Amino acid sequence: MLLNTKDGIVISGPVVNLAAAGVANAAVVFTVPVLAGQFIGTKSLQIRRVNLYNNAAGTTQVLIGTGVAGTFVALLPALDSINALNDSYGPNTDLVAAEAFANITAYPVALGAGTSIDIQVEVIIRG
Amino acid sequence: MPDLYIFKSQIGMLDPVALYNQNVAIHYVKSTYYRKVDFLEAIPPFQCLDFGALAATTPSARTNVTNLEMADNEFGLFRWYPIDDAQIRLYHPAGISKWQLRNLQIPVDMQIVVRDPNLVSTEIAIWEDNRPAMEAINGGAVALNAVRIIAMGYRFHTVDLEGRGEFADPTLVANIKSGKEPCTHVFCSGRGIGD
Repeated sequence: MLLNTKDGIVISGPVVNLAAAGVANAAVVFTVPVLAGQFIGTKSLQIRRVNLYNNAAGTTQVLIGTGVAGTFVALLPALDSINALNDSYGPNTDLVAAEAFANITAYPVALGAGTSIDIQVEVIIRG
Repeated sequence: MPDLYIFKSQIGMLDPVALYNQNVAIHYVKSTYYRKVDFLEAIPPFQCLDFGALAATTPSARTNVTNLEMADNEFGLFRWYPIDDAQIRLYHPAGISKWQLRNLQIPVDMQIVVRDPNLVSTEIAIWEDNRPAMEAINGGAVALNAVRIIAMGYRFHTVDLEGRGEFADPTLVANIKSGKEPCTHVFCSGRGIGD
């Protein structure tokens, strides 16, 4: 039955606008499914794709991890976001399938005044 | 019932070991109970246990898998696999090692879905609430956030063919024991070495 091919389901997250730089402004980009007492099992998220669109924010990097401010833990090294361009990171090329057991958060290292970066992640939900 | 037996390998998931109105012999350690199935249903794959976080190069405590226990008069048939990078030792009931060779107790790890895609070798049956238990071993140099087990199978409700109850049938039990009537033998525990 080849269970290894049925291990996880691919789900895309919402497009999130990162309008503030710095780890203190890390925003949730994917939420772990959880409903205490009703939802069966511990779910985890394996990052599969990351799409970034740089709204003329200047070339910078985006950090993806869990937590915010002092609790932020990176799941991946910083990903480049090139000024005014789309950057796509996908499986088998750029991304390690890092696994998160908490909501995935992200923040840009720097932003030009009044600019932002749009981010969307696609994950494999396991468990 | 030549096509209904434990440890069956086939294309697809797994077959039930008995159907409605068929006889089963439940073997639990050294006891045997002769019964008849009067209800069965499939149990879809579900996460039956999460050991939680497990530090690097550390075994977990032995943990009862209460989510695999069955109600009175019922037995469950399950195949299972872990989805996190640990080796799992099974005890069934909690004090008896399962898959025990003379010198080694065999664990199951994530590779099972590649080496045994039908999970035949993980098949276990559980009689009522007779406590399956597991230990997880994290042999890696990285702590695990979770060690999760997925199980799937069947639930069987049975009636007692022995004793003096409503469904007692001493003649049928005698014929099962002598081989004149068909019966699926279901082993619902491990067995100690030399026991």
